[in-house]
Amino acid sequence: MSLTGTADVEPARHRPAPAPGGWLGWLTTTDHKRIGLLTLGTSLLVMLGMGVLALLMRGQLAQPEEHLVGPQVYNQLFTMHGSGMIYLVMTPFALGLGVYLVPLQVGAPVIAMPRATLLGYWLYVLGAAIMLSGFATPQGAHSDGWFSYPPMAARTYTPGVGSDLWIAGVFLATTGVILMAWAVLWTALRKRAEGMTMLRMPVFSWSMAATCLMVIGAFPALLAALALLAAGRVEPAVFDSNLWVIGYQHLFWFYGHPVVYVMFFPYLGAVAEVLAVFSGRRFFGYRGTVFALLVFAALSMSVWGHHMFTTGQATNDYYSLTSILLLVPAGVEYFAMLGTILGGRLVFRTPMLFALAFVPQFLIGGLTGIMVGTPVLDYHAQDSYFVVAHLHYVLFAGSAFGLFAGFYLWFPKATGVLLDERLGRWHFWLLVVGTNLTFFPMFFLGYAGMPRRVVTYLDGDGFGLLNLLSSCGAAVLAAGMTVFVVNLARAALRRAPRAGDDPWRGHTLEWATSSPPPRLNFDAAHPLPPLTSEAPLLDLRRRAADEARGAREGRGAREGRA
Amino acid sequence: MTRHPGFLLVAGWALLNGLLLAVLAIYGESATALACYGIAVGLLALAALAVLASSVRGPREHTRYRLPVRPGSAVLPLAAAAGLAVLAYPYGWWLLPIAAALLGLSLALAAHDRAARPRRSR
Repeated sequence: MSLTGTADVEPARHRPAPAPGGWLGWLTTTDHKRIGLLTLGTSLLVMLGMGVLALLMRGQLAQPEEHLVGPQVYNQLFTMHGSGMIYLVMTPFALGLGVYLVPLQVGAPVIAMPRATLLGYWLYVLGAAIMLSGFATPQGAHSDGWFSYPPMAARTYTPGVGSDLWIAGVFLATTGVILMAWAVLWTALRKRAEGMTMLRMPVFSWSMAATCLMVIGAFPALLAALALLAAGRVEPAVFDSNLWVIGYQHLFWFYGHPVVYVMFFPYLGAVAEVLAVFSGRRFFGYRGTVFALLVFAALSMSVWGHHMFTTGQATNDYYSLTSILLLVPAGVEYFAMLGTILGGRLVFRTPMLFALAFVPQFLIGGLTGIMVGTPVLDYHAQDSYFVVAHLHYVLFAGSAFGLFAGFYLWFPKATGVLLDERLGRWHFWLLVVGTNLTFFPMFFLGYAGMPRRVVTYLDGDGFGLLNLLSSCGAAVLAAGMTVFVVNLARAALRRAPRAGDDPWRGHTLEWATSSPPPRLNFDAAHPLPPLTSEAPLLDLRRRAADEARGAREGRGAREGRA
Repeated sequence: MTRHPGFLLVAGWALLNGLLLAVLAIYGESATALACYGIAVGLLALAALAVLASSVRGPREHTRYRLPVRPGSAVLPLAAAAGLAVLAYPYGWWLLPIAAALLGLSLALAAHDRAARPRRSR
């Protein structure tokens, strides 16, 4: 790889050569902000596509014995929706946020390993294209769910090249994500500006550090699982042995549970930043939250077997214990969020609305997770719509709301333009109504026995009304996302109103630079402020206010004496 | 050791996972599951050592940033090579020579960029 000059203290002395302009400049960029924006933009595009798949599924389930799509197509829809949202949307978006923001937040001019980061992005794009191209093959896309257990996913039961493309695509995309995670982690560990100690990193950067530790620890297991699945599709006898069938499940879930936290921590970090900024105060319990994030992340590596309770081949007691222990660090984080809000001067702008909704909605997802982390309840809820409701409360009502909180917060920093507040509020309320209307009835459907991944149900099953409500909710969600797209298009076309460098009175270093930031993040016009804590801009403002007050009092005293 | 906080973070996190692995072993989990977790803990330990090595070699890395001076033109053919290599699984090994050619192109571009880079200043 071609690399670099090294600059001694002053990066400005070795400015990067002018990048090629236009699209080529973007495609070959080594600027972490551009790579981050490419990743975020690609993830959002895929998210819209996955939303269309979800609408098709909800259309099919809106009424009993509906025939909008057939069983084979339905299997492809739920597989590609789940796979796409996890492998191609929520995980890459989380890493994309880190690629964009962590160097800015730790005061670094560049990301570590910029070319590896760019390679990570391209592997992700190619992986997405290969995975989704399965729809264009004669037997269609992969159709065995996002975890694709063998022997169901073996060639005997799932012939067709769509499954092979799925394996190849997920392998590439995951490799790309691992590369990005290494770069973000290395930046946080080794590229911090002088004075930016580990315990002065913002909560978001800490959440990314914990996320990246999970990625490098757990994601290689997915690559191993995919290699095993590929081997089994070439040589079906592999899956005659229980060792490899159950071994696949262990490998998959060793990745499959931490990935839930990879899709959660960065959004939790974004929510933490939003709550602090829009409460006008420092994040409450900073050190406790950092410690809780690291313990939470470590515990999340040890709970994977709770997905295998019903196999009878996992040590249920241990996995149940560690799953329930997750409540402790999660509780610390929740109290920290609530402590930040309490007593704050709350400003209810769009990012804050999304962050506030995240708090109770994710709680529902988390607590129902503890329920299914308990074997006796899991035996009842396994493979039912209860699990679908739980995971959507975690990943959509929770993580996606955190995603949008962060999106509305940092969009002005990345583009220099504010999103429309009125449309943002429409987006928010439609999403709140749509999310709860879509996913809350699923708890009752699951509890009543509706299995997940069924193409239809009978009138006499009694699932009709709740499914209809859920499908109506999906339509509201679609309306909300349409408003979001309109808001983005409007901002792109009008390029107004201009945001300025710090439209929200932010606390962290990215708000000290211009919007959008210069190539090396900070320059003579926007130098790094003194790095005094995890909220250096808040410190700066308070110091300035104290000095102004002192000057006023001094002047008053002098005038009194005179 | 407090001069190497990055190492402490990764090593501490690996150690915490090691403890959880030990408790899992006490509970009598299968060898497959223990191997899975054990390899991950090993990977994390290696990551911690990599951070330590970097930290010892260049403790002031935060004041000596390596700035990319040219665009990452070698990356695109490298990614394409990786894409073709994995497509060889569904579509046949005949794709591998094309992937190898792209890898060669990527290496050539990288060598060209390396030759054009400025002298290091230390």
